[in-house]
Amino acid sequence: MIRIAAVGDVHIDRDVLGRFRPALEELPEHADVLLLAGDLTRHGTEAEAKCVATEFGGLGVPVIAVLGNHDHHCDEVPGVLAALGDAGITVLEGDSTVVRVDGVRLGVAGVKGFGGGFAGRCASEFGEPEMKAFVRTTGAVAERLGAALRDLDCDVRVALTHYSPVPDTLAGEPLEIYPFLGSYLLGQAIDSAPTALAVHGHAHHGSERGRTPGGVRVRNVAHPVIKQAYSVFNLAADNVSSSAASGI
Amino acid sequence: MNDYTEAEVQRALAEDLGVAEQGITVVRTEPGLVLCGEVESPHRRDEIVRLVHERFPGIEIAADIGVTRAAAPTEAEELA
Ligand SMILES: [Fe+2]
Ligand SMILES: [Fe+2]
Repeated sequence: MIRIAAVGDVHIDRDVLGRFRPALEELPEHADVLLLAGDLTRHGTEAEAKCVATEFGGLGVPVIAVLGNHDHHCDEVPGVLAALGDAGITVLEGDSTVVRVDGVRLGVAGVKGFGGGFAGRCASEFGEPEMKAFVRTTGAVAERLGAALRDLDCDVRVALTHYSPVPDTLAGEPLEIYPFLGSYLLGQAIDSAPTALAVHGHAHHGSERGRTPGGVRVRNVAHPVIKQAYSVFNLAADNVSSSAASGI
Repeated sequence: MNDYTEAEVQRALAEDLGVAEQGITVVRTEPGLVLCGEVESPHRRDEIVRLVHERFPGIEIAADIGVTRAAAPTEAEELA
């Protein structure tokens, strides 16, 4: 069994320092890895990222993150990445990482993702340059996510995004803003590989559970949605390929 | 208090760097408005109310904003 802890949208700044720490101290008892689903900072300054590093660093389990839209706001992404990297937090954007848990290789592929909407109600690559750029941005990141998932050499695959790959986990948000909360292209990318679980954030008023058209379980772990320091998902052994199971 | 004011309040909350909250719902009532949602600290709740008072003097504000709990989970979800 692999135990995956996850939370998104912690929006850390100095005023939040220490709030997650008591729960994080006991995280290694509950989980083998922690995924951070973006919007780690309040508006993307290096100073806030240092607070994230203080709060989520040195946990004793691997911490794997993607950035969110808030982490981009102040155009300090290199500084943000450096601060997180210094704390040993792996930040994914179109790539992947593999961690070993009891001999099972857990592969996590991640992108921030972007908007565009969902099948039948989505933006198209047509018209003004701004509109085409918007839709192309999502298409490009989704392609990178799909490639990263398919290229993973591991036993269990997890997709980590900030934006949602499905509309299910947006239930509770106003319908009018769905196109700004995610894109079906992310779901299609997740379905292009044998993904065991997809985790995202961003939709603060959304709901916890959903499924891609291909049947992959999706969980919205935005902090205001889960209302706890992190959620834990236990992936049972039958999600683990037989080659890995025999290696345990 | 009309649609435009409501939009201005929403954008002020998102775009002011001291607040940067996109998750606050602005509900229009008689005579003013109610701010609903969850934030990460009591300080942020106070900042939201302060900002709206300052930028929109004369509008009556009620805040129904909670601070998101951050306790360790009591159970895991088994994904068979
Ligand atoms: Fe967020
Ligand atoms: Fe976000």
